[in-house]
Amino acid sequence: MKYAARRALRAVVLLFGVSVLCFLFTEMAPGSFFDEMRLNPQISPETISGLRARYGLDQPLLVRYSRWLTSVVNGDLGFSVAYNSPVAPLLWSRALNTLLLTTTAMLLTWLMGVPLGVWSAAYRGRWLDRVVEAGNSLLISIPEIVIALALLALAVRSRVVPIGGMISIGHEDLSGAGKVNDILRHLLLPTAILVLAGIAIVIRHVRASVVEVLDAPFVRAGRGLGIGRTRLLFRHVLPVAASPAISLFGFSIASLLSGSLLVEIITGWPGLGPLLLDATLARDVYLVIGGIIVSAVFMIAGNFIADLMLLVADPRIGTGGLNEE
Amino acid sequence: MKNKSRVRSVILLLVGLHAVVLFAGFFSPYDAKEQDRNLPYVPPSRLHFTGRTGFHFRPFVYASAADVDGYREDPAEEYPVQFFVRGNSYSLLGVIESDLHWFGVRRPARIMLLGADGFGRDEFSRLLFGGQISLAAGLLATFLTLATAAVIGTVSGFYGGWIDESLMGTSELFLSLPWLYFLLGVRAFLPLHVSPAGTFLLLIAVIGVIGWARPARLVRGVVLSARTRNYVSAARGFGGSDLYLLRRHILPETFGVLLTQAALLVPLYVAAEATLSFFGLGVSEPVPSWGNMLASLQQYSVIVSYVWLLAPAAALVVTSVIYAMLADALHSVKSQ
Amino acid sequence: METDRSASTPERQPLLRVRGLGKSYRRKGAGWARTDVIVAASEVEFEIFAGQTLALVGSSGSGKSTVARCVTRLEKPDVGHVWLQGADIAHLGFSDLRPFRHELQMVFQDPATSMNPRFTAAEIIEEPLIIQRPGDKSAHRVRAKELMQEVGVSPQWANRPAMEFSGGQRQRLAIARALALKPKLLVLDEALSGLDLSTEAQIANLLLDLQASHSLAYLLISHDLALVARLADMIAVMAHGRIVEQGPVAQVMANAGHSETRALVASARVAQANLAALGAAL
Repeated sequence: MKYAARRALRAVVLLFGVSVLCFLFTEMAPGSFFDEMRLNPQISPETISGLRARYGLDQPLLVRYSRWLTSVVNGDLGFSVAYNSPVAPLLWSRALNTLLLTTTAMLLTWLMGVPLGVWSAAYRGRWLDRVVEAGNSLLISIPEIVIALALLALAVRSRVVPIGGMISIGHEDLSGAGKVNDILRHLLLPTAILVLAGIAIVIRHVRASVVEVLDAPFVRAGRGLGIGRTRLLFRHVLPVAASPAISLFGFSIASLLSGSLLVEIITGWPGLGPLLLDATLARDVYLVIGGIIVSAVFMIAGNFIADLMLLVADPRIGTGGLNEE
Repeated sequence: MKNKSRVRSVILLLVGLHAVVLFAGFFSPYDAKEQDRNLPYVPPSRLHFTGRTGFHFRPFVYASAADVDGYREDPAEEYPVQFFVRGNSYSLLGVIESDLHWFGVRRPARIMLLGADGFGRDEFSRLLFGGQISLAAGLLATFLTLATAAVIGTVSGFYGGWIDESLMGTSELFLSLPWLYFLLGVRAFLPLHVSPAGTFLLLIAVIGVIGWARPARLVRGVVLSARTRNYVSAARGFGGSDLYLLRRHILPETFGVLLTQAALLVPLYVAAEATLSFFGLGVSEPVPSWGNMLASLQQYSVIVSYVWLLAPAAALVVTSVIYAMLADALHSVKSQ
Repeated sequence: METDRSASTPERQPLLRVRGLGKSYRRKGAGWARTDVIVAASEVEFEIFAGQTLALVGSSGSGKSTVARCVTRLEKPDVGHVWLQGADIAHLGFSDLRPFRHELQMVFQDPATSMNPRFTAAEIIEEPLIIQRPGDKSAHRVRAKELMQEVGVSPQWANRPAMEFSGGQRQRLAIARALALKPKLLVLDEALSGLDLSTEAQIANLLLDLQASHSLAYLLISHDLALVARLADMIAVMAHGRIVEQGPVAQVMANAGHSETRALVASARVAQANLAALGAAL
């Protein structure tokens, strides 16, 4: 339990750190930001002075920070200049779409990657494994943007899957199952890109950790004792090899989030990505920061879940017997 | 040693790649900005070896003429490919002026090995010039990151205590932010329309500042273990100052780590530049970079009809693969 | 900086005088237990005169290395005085210690770790010279080669990396390095422990020669009583961080008072007997 508590504490500390960073961001350009707002005829002077007072721009730094933090925790993430609306509701639906995409991609990546990694470790040295490994190394080298464009080109030319957006025209007229099916079909391309981008490194790490365990004395002892191959693999090898793989899980969340940004923009999936890009181009400060906060929360939460999974997989960690770090 | 020769051959490949890009002016037949409004989206020139006079080794091209549904070749005249021709003038590294090009054809024909983009600009030339920007961005940003990481990691590992804890805590913070979001965040705060040179430097600064955390931890690890070695104590016993110990004994230990990290980071940063420019947040027209060259592919019609415009993507892959080979070779040298 | 007023005799001041030396370490207890305090050395006192060799012996954990490190100021003692030619260096700051580096140098046990493997032989030896007197590179190089000659390593190999030398040769280089600043006292912290018997004998002879030609004093840390008998004039026996018996070597070893001393002498005799038996069998 102590381990979980420590990890939770660390997550909270990180969240604080992120909040400080984001707050500093807001501080960096408030002057020009409000000047720009003043020039915008759509926003009344009253709104501006109201915002200034609300954010207490005349108060000392610490006060401003605590005020900002309170409002963020209460769900108020500021005001978007470009969309002329509060930030939080704009982010909410988009964040859910991004969550849908990233969790689907994560699940598929691991559901396919782990068995492939284990399988290639079990048959290591054979020519099939060599081929897989070479292909894998190549895939790892390919930048995400290239994979995205390549699959996009393929999709557009073959017209197999719908591209762009989450729903087709006439989505509302579909039945419940039809609606789900429609969304799934739109999900296909962006998910495929993310999975292809992420699976190579999962395969490599799983393979490496399984190989390491396969070479361990206790496994060889098991072989000597005559324990069958599959039984050995699943009952003895896998649990031990799981821990490094789960650690990778935490890391892959970060790259998945960044990757989803890219993929959403290219495929037109209505997640946080396209919203944030427009916000950046429009220098819509609060919207961008809101996006960063949301993504950081996803990330820290994901890492915390990964830590908990690690605890479940390897109870030794909870007793503090192993050195942390 | 087999491994060392592997490293050497990969480095040779890398040098070749960078040299071709560096001397883009020489290797490309045209200037990156030169437009031919008559030839938008012309497909890659076909090299012919058999013409009216039969087969000869020197290839030639036909001029392209607009047709109903694209282009056709005009067989009226053959334009042989010539080597070491005089063409547009360019400056090498901004210093030396020259107008010598590796190959070209007589006007008004054009030799476009990778076709043309929407403005009739030669994709091959743009690819080489674009490489200058993309590769330079990758290399400079890597240098920035590693310099920062070296300083922070060394200070952290050498002095320990609260300095170490606060620096490593900060590094963990940086590691927990998804890089692209962070990049957008930083980019959002910087002025959008700066001079091309300014944009370039901005881009490098933004990309370079993001990635210091992981290499810094690695450097810290090396410094920590080097710090406790007996020969460092001995040197201190001779009266060696902190600076002396760092310079003479500890920092040389970090070079290996920094080198392997460089091999990993450069392709990552080249891709980052491409991604940012693709979104319009990096280098913008008319200066070519592999990223903004790919931007036109966001229109589905373009990506369907004009596949040759994916050339920068291929260039990105080639770059990444060669650097990955280097990282691999370095790794096997280290572990032997 | 206190001057030592209680000289043994007016004419003959000791080169090194240690009084009341103590050092403890804090160690984090296992789990969530409070930190343990380990007393590595306490109430240590001895004197070494010029040209003399004092051996500090004891089993492992007795505190001998701690004393060595405190005397050479690789670590700072918690309490006590260390008078080097009358000046107390026990609690001086880093820059204040600089002039004393010349007087006092250390030779470590393991030459593989005490010298940077990437350095060449010459670079290793000239390092103290470069640190203390930067700028005179060629002169330092000449001196390094002289020192190599003196310790019995051919100066031809000056540009060979340290890794390429054998253990015994590396230890000779370590001694040369220690001599570079012309110290008056060398601390030999188990300096011959990692060597095979014949190399050990050669290095021991080298040390005796150097002592004679440079009138060096040695503080010899060792657990090997045979070596001690060979090299040392005086002996101090340590156990659990304290000195339990002190005096001239022959006297202490013949009439061992303390149980610790007796145990050490006994085990040394056993080792000698084994060696003799081995010699007889071959």
